[in-house]
Amino acid sequence: MRARVSEQWVEAPLQNFADQSRVTFALLLQPSGQVLGQFGFTRAMDVMAACSLAAAINVTAAQLGRELEGAPFHELHHAGRERELFIAEAPTARGPLVLLAAFDGESSLGLVRLYFRELCASLAEAASAVDPVPSEAGRVDLGENLERDLNRSLAILFGRARPDSEGMLSVPPSIPPA
Amino acid sequence: MSTTQFTGLISALTRQRGVLGCLVVSERDGIIVDADVQAGVDAAAVAALAAALYRRARLCSEAAGLSRVGFLQLESERGHICAAGRDDLVAVVIAETGAPVAQLRTVILQSVDSLV
Repeated sequence: MRARVSEQWVEAPLQNFADQSRVTFALLLQPSGQVLGQFGFTRAMDVMAACSLAAAINVTAAQLGRELEGAPFHELHHAGRERELFIAEAPTARGPLVLLAAFDGESSLGLVRLYFRELCASLAEAASAVDPVPSEAGRVDLGENLERDLNRSLAILFGRARPDSEGMLSVPPSIPPA
Repeated sequence: MSTTQFTGLISALTRQRGVLGCLVVSERDGIIVDADVQAGVDAAAVAALAAALYRRARLCSEAAGLSRVGFLQLESERGHICAAGRDDLVAVVIAETGAPVAQLRTVILQSVDSLV
């Protein structure tokens, strides 16, 4: 299975992470909830919901960590009966990214942590190889552009739009929401 | 240094000649429960990968109708990884090439009963 991305520079790191760690689902998103890449999802609605929840969980866990320990928790793991969830932040030169991964008995927390370490290193390397300061098109704007950018990312991810020549989000504003 | 219920097992194994480290790992999670490894060994990576390897070996053995895995030995260019488990816990030993594997095997299999 191939990872699908809205920004080209995250494709190889995300694909490698998914292949090596054998997770069922993986999402790479900005802390605002804007998706950059996904693995294992087939429906845009699922990606949108998972991104919103992951962003909310990430910011909540970070704040809870600050309240309890004076520093944000840097990863979160939930062990379900059959599936487990891992959420952690990967720092890059283009700002932090959030990884959400779901896995079952084919993988383990140890493997996910191990390959998350590699993902962080390869994302940092890939981020430094592209424009270190995100262009206006790629920057997350929490104002009027947020919804449009969220829809753009989803549209690119599911083949309803294409990224521009720099691999950044750039699609006509008429893209319908997912 | 704090002691745990696995301190005795780990001491017994790390005392053996040529042993570079010993870990008690959760097979399901691939997470270290207790360990004593030499500096320079990426214990978390060894734990995750060895647990995955042991789990696969166990499933393979069961699928082949050979029942449970007794002892797993991975021979590498510069040493050995040995593992034996009970329930969800696996004792993993990292040993250099010259380590007496037969003796190690005996000690690991004797120790594995204390993995509860």
